[in-house]
Amino acid sequence: MSTLSRPPFTVAAFLFLTMAAYAEGTIEFNRDIRPILSENCFQCHGPDKNKRKAKLRLDVREDALKPAESGEIAIVPKVISKSALIDRIVSTDEDEQMPPAESHKKLTGAQKEKLRLWIAEGADYQAPWAFIAPKRIPAPGIRGIGWARNQIDQFIAQELETRRLGHSPEAPKELLLRRVSFALTGLPPSISQMDRFSADTAPDAYEKEIDRLLATPQFGEHMAVYWLDAARYGDTHGLHLDNERSMWPYRDWVVRAFNENLPFDQFTLWQLAGDLIPNATRDQKIASGFNRCNVTSGEGGSINEELLFRYALDRTETAVNTWMGLTAGCAVCHDHKFDPITQKDFYSLFAFFNSAADPAMDGNEKFTPPVLKLPSPAQENQLREWTEKIAAARAGIKAELARIEYVDPAALDPIPPISQVEEIWLEDDFPADAKPASAATWATDRVQSGKRAIKQTGQGITQNYFEGAEKPFPAPSNGKIFAYVWLDPADPPKAIMLQWHGDGNWNWRANWGDKDAITFGQAGTPAKLQIGELPKPGEWVRLEVSVEDLKLKPGAKFDGLAFTQFGGTVYWDHSGAAYEVNPAADPERSQIAWEKRNEGHDPGEKVPKAIRDIFLANKERTAEHKQTLRDYFLSEVFAGNRERFNLLQTGVKKLEDEKKAFEAGIPATLVMADIEQKREAHIMLRGQYDKPGEKVEPAVPAIFGKLPVTGRATRLDLANWLIAPENPLASRVIVNRLWQQIFGNGLVRTAGDFGAQGETPSHPELLDWLAVELRESGWDIKHLIRLMLTSATFRQDSRMTPALLEADPENRFLARGPRFRLDAEELRDNALAVGGLLDLTLGGVPVRPYQPENIWEPLGFVGSNTREYKQDHGQALYRRSLYTFWKRNAPAPFLTTFDAPSRDSSCIRRERSDTPLQALLLMNDVQHFEAARALGQRMLLEGGTTANERISYGFRLATTRRPAESEQTVLKETFEKELEHFAANLPAAQQAVTFGESKPKPDLNPAELAAYTMVANVLLNMDETLTEN
Amino acid sequence: MTPRSYLEQVTRRHFFRECGVGVGKIALASLLTDSFSPFSARAAVIDPLAPKQPHFPPKAKRVIHLFMAGAPSQLDLFDYKPELAKLQGKPLPPSVIGGQRYAFIRPDAAVLGPQFKFNKHGQSGAELSEMLPNLARIADDICLIKSCNTDQFNHAPAQIFFNTGFQQPGRPSIGSWALYGLGAETQELPAFVVMSTGAGISGGSACWSSGFLPTLYTGVRFRNQGDPILDVSSPAGIDQKLQRDSLDLVGEMNRRRMASDGDPEIATRISQYEMAFKLQTSAPELMDFKSESKETLELYGCDPDKPSFARACLLARRMIERGVRFVNIYHEGWDAHSDVSGNLKKNCGETDRASAALVQDLKQRGLLDDTLVIWGGEFGRTPMVETNPVLGRSMGRDHHPQAFTMWMAGGGLKGGVSYGATDDLGFHVVDNPVHVHDVQATILHLLGFDHEKLTFQSQGRDFRLTDVHGKVIKALLA
Repeated sequence: MSTLSRPPFTVAAFLFLTMAAYAEGTIEFNRDIRPILSENCFQCHGPDKNKRKAKLRLDVREDALKPAESGEIAIVPKVISKSALIDRIVSTDEDEQMPPAESHKKLTGAQKEKLRLWIAEGADYQAPWAFIAPKRIPAPGIRGIGWARNQIDQFIAQELETRRLGHSPEAPKELLLRRVSFALTGLPPSISQMDRFSADTAPDAYEKEIDRLLATPQFGEHMAVYWLDAARYGDTHGLHLDNERSMWPYRDWVVRAFNENLPFDQFTLWQLAGDLIPNATRDQKIASGFNRCNVTSGEGGSINEELLFRYALDRTETAVNTWMGLTAGCAVCHDHKFDPITQKDFYSLFAFFNSAADPAMDGNEKFTPPVLKLPSPAQENQLREWTEKIAAARAGIKAELARIEYVDPAALDPIPPISQVEEIWLEDDFPADAKPASAATWATDRVQSGKRAIKQTGQGITQNYFEGAEKPFPAPSNGKIFAYVWLDPADPPKAIMLQWHGDGNWNWRANWGDKDAITFGQAGTPAKLQIGELPKPGEWVRLEVSVEDLKLKPGAKFDGLAFTQFGGTVYWDHSGAAYEVNPAADPERSQIAWEKRNEGHDPGEKVPKAIRDIFLANKERTAEHKQTLRDYFLSEVFAGNRERFNLLQTGVKKLEDEKKAFEAGIPATLVMADIEQKREAHIMLRGQYDKPGEKVEPAVPAIFGKLPVTGRATRLDLANWLIAPENPLASRVIVNRLWQQIFGNGLVRTAGDFGAQGETPSHPELLDWLAVELRESGWDIKHLIRLMLTSATFRQDSRMTPALLEADPENRFLARGPRFRLDAEELRDNALAVGGLLDLTLGGVPVRPYQPENIWEPLGFVGSNTREYKQDHGQALYRRSLYTFWKRNAPAPFLTTFDAPSRDSSCIRRERSDTPLQALLLMNDVQHFEAARALGQRMLLEGGTTANERISYGFRLATTRRPAESEQTVLKETFEKELEHFAANLPAAQQAVTFGESKPKPDLNPAELAAYTMVANVLLNMDETLTEN
Repeated sequence: MTPRSYLEQVTRRHFFRECGVGVGKIALASLLTDSFSPFSARAAVIDPLAPKQPHFPPKAKRVIHLFMAGAPSQLDLFDYKPELAKLQGKPLPPSVIGGQRYAFIRPDAAVLGPQFKFNKHGQSGAELSEMLPNLARIADDICLIKSCNTDQFNHAPAQIFFNTGFQQPGRPSIGSWALYGLGAETQELPAFVVMSTGAGISGGSACWSSGFLPTLYTGVRFRNQGDPILDVSSPAGIDQKLQRDSLDLVGEMNRRRMASDGDPEIATRISQYEMAFKLQTSAPELMDFKSESKETLELYGCDPDKPSFARACLLARRMIERGVRFVNIYHEGWDAHSDVSGNLKKNCGETDRASAALVQDLKQRGLLDDTLVIWGGEFGRTPMVETNPVLGRSMGRDHHPQAFTMWMAGGGLKGGVSYGATDDLGFHVVDNPVHVHDVQATILHLLGFDHEKLTFQSQGRDFRLTDVHGKVIKALLA
């Protein structure tokens, strides 16, 4: 309601303040004019050549000074009366007026005045500031200002002086310690750290503290949180099934890289192109996984080309966003309307990323290739052992083959005689050891042979079957499988079907009658052979199927039979296989016969490729070919050796399976690689994957010139260009993000847009100074952070006075210290740390802490392996939030409630909202309430002997300061009330102190502990505790 | 635009342009006019959810969107095509199919006729399948759009597209835009609520995300089990009075802090904690169905103790009555690649009665006039049969982006209207095509917005729900 009741003139007053500030200097194009033109004019008179109207272009000076289509000249420097631009913006004639009414844009009086002034002064242009390489100007000397500690302060002081703003005194020591601890590690200081720091009166006590914190592994963890936002890191693929993916070794590498202070230029190279660095190290390959963190899909029916296009698009946008601080999204569909990034520029960048080797469909796998296995030394040893064992077992087979003296029956003279054999698979009963589907319906009123036959009557599909016969039936490759049926003339079926089970599936079927009645199997394949019409009813008919048609592997066996019909009444009896034994013509006995049969055609997918190739090649065979064929025939085809080799091969397979299972447990991470033959890149018309236009080569945007490479440029060239001294963007962009992380706002507040639509820097010289400092320090991130933290600017008190608020509401000019709500991970880690529950184990697989029920389940797709949340127990509940399993479709509520991004796409700036759902989570969630209990217990056990001492101890743990007397008083009053309440309600106290999985100390009085828990919960919910200030 | 709303827009813009600034900072403009007094700051906080005036007086003040995720078969429910029965078993002419690609079937798959009987209902003579006997009763209250079409033909992108106007995650959903533009009418409940029944949702939370808008415009999920709102219950052993004491104490500490530190953000936090406490009391009241008559429960087919689509619909009405602005109910399960008739029997069985009951109930309570009810999926299903023995599918229908049917009711729309038409095979739209962006433009129009002007600047560009497309379907407006 307050919005509506607010008097309208406040805003006007506010605008006036801003303007007054600008009016002090002369007009500067990038600061004063470009934003006006960009917002109001560039849409039609800017870089996008396809949308340009009246042949007028205002973003390039020489074009703006030329006559437009109408013959008028928009800008005549120093001559207002001849500058059509001025006529148009002051005109009230609807046909003349600019910007036109339909654009819904309107210039303010102040903006018009600025434009007039600018033209009067000569209409000087500047290249977009962010596209000019940063130059270091010496930090301004500030006379009479004693507070400056380093160059940052000198720049800040100069601007404060210009704006007639003061500098706040240094923050109280204990608050400073808390501020710097969160800034560096995302964690609060411990009591002993507080004590040591407050006792240390050395002039460099604060600097020592910074060095200590920079050296803790928690520094890298904290830095990683924000980097992983930019890298859009997650533990699932992101679309459809949103199955788990193994990417965490990349996350751990990021932590390690920050802790080891890997120079940022290397940090850049490794991530964008680690895979392309010659002789890349393991870490460099892991780092290249940056390019594999994008969302992928495994949704059946997707179009591969579209997915590949989307992936490359995402990789391009992420790189541009992360290192160039530009919004490339517009240029996907058309030339950028505000920045000199054409659509061609975009797709030239895209060309660096569109040859990635990962498949379009992620397969819903944890390890979508390419992946890098990361065995530990112990695991490597074990793998070696498996490999050796398998080699030995294979050698055993070779040796056995060498021992065989085989005489081909076809080579004998005379050849051995022929005999007929019929083997019975079914007579009177299913095999005793088989698993029947149900008790078969046997009948004795009509049999073909033996005592009884199966009698089936039914509507629709009716069947009797068994599988799992312990002695499977060999299917002779030259034989026929048969069975007898008797169809009831009074009740004939629509179709009948024989089906066999082997190798774990039922994929062999033979059908008689209506081919569509029984729907199983793909017609025309062994999964559904149509043999013929229904046999004549009223008599026993022998059904026969040629084994050859079933395309079996030589020596295949069946362990199950099925007798299926559609409707009708059918008797089934006497099934088996009939074959001729003619050793000389039998491909399972004579190698000559076997080769003859397969010559020139493909023996099928079950046969190894080497053998298939030999047959298909149809060429003169080398000795090696002959040996290969002989070995395969004797070990895999020849009936005489089958038992012996089966045993040996089973041994090898078992070892291989065991090795595979072991390998599956070895950590691996998705890495980047390109395919050999690079994909062509085109400008995609209107950003559509199937509308390729002009072909483009990998290149950087034309405004930056050409890459100094011969031949096709690679991602490595792109990365090297980003970190080159003349690159205007990367160093500024990263320095700005560090500043944003530490001060709450970037020097360029639009950290993701350094272009014309973004804001200009509040302190352009400081930004450039820091950018050059970063590069010249050897891209030393810790050095830069240390510079910022040791500045007097950072050390200021963050309290606001009405005057300060009025002058600089958002603290852009830093007349006071930083102050902002802790981020999602910090809030949870803080509660755990203050409660003494935090487990500081570094790295490893993601953990699943407490999560309210039904966060994943209602969203999880059937068949997804992240549909059900299986919470961890024990220490995993208390790990740092960085390690929480990040399911992209449904990230943990403690993350999303506090503005963590979804990690679907690159994010370089989190917002900071304030909602009632946050209050509910902090007050009531088990993780937080349990932490409050743990803090209550610490107050009781460590805090002293009186309630006052204990409350003060808890207060200090939560805020690093001791409470004021008045604060102490109200806290104690409530505590006493609560103690009284719980003493009278012991069961409630008991419930309150046992919320969560960690157990309170058993000898504590539950009422007292519950009352301290309540106070602790208040302490953990105070604004001061939730804020870095 | 009135001068006042213009000024408000400027402030909002100034604040939201980069939302990294805390909510409390928006209070600044008002604080400047007051003599600075920390204790009055609480009153001066500008709530980004405060009610706002849209571009013109809205017809619909609230929306209930019944999202039939998985895509119901329009050919067996709404869009009767006797020609398909005649052609059953034969392939469609290639000239009809053109270059369309399908997820699973080949373009030469055979035609599948309507699976159910159709009849005409109501004075308007709306043609509906026998699977929708309850909807048939309210045929004169709804407006059928038979010519919907979309750009996407897979579930996740199509669902996200329908909800946000873009096929990839990252843009604000319709509900978020509604909140951004209209603010909230209740302080006791979240203004944008999401419920789901049936199976999981392919598009995931991107469907109700606030995208680049501040997160407080994100849909709040009401859950079927456990607390309806996350952490709305106090921890075990903590009764309401204790919780109140804690909140009072937190408030007291924060007011002291406000006095010493002067950060308006603290005032925001104080008010958000107050609202949290209100939620703790209003949520159980909302979930308590005791005040619902037997007739009402019967009308919806709702068993208050069992999570179901019917229960979600009744809850939606209760929310609307309590000032909730936008309710999404996702019912996932319509993806009938196999056995389309069995699928429809199951899903219509679960949704038809309650969907119709919702409209009827809103009407009899006088709420339908300014509540918009939307029913529909992310795309349609093919006139051709899907049969795939390898995947074990038969008698199904594949995804069909070219044509599908939705219905809407109330909120400034005509009743008893059937709009748009497809060809004799139900393949292409031939009359009055309605693209998803047009549906979105129309929804925003009913809420009082010019969809081209409801914009938000992110990363240097003005974004809107309808991207650079969309036109209001004027013929449907009452």
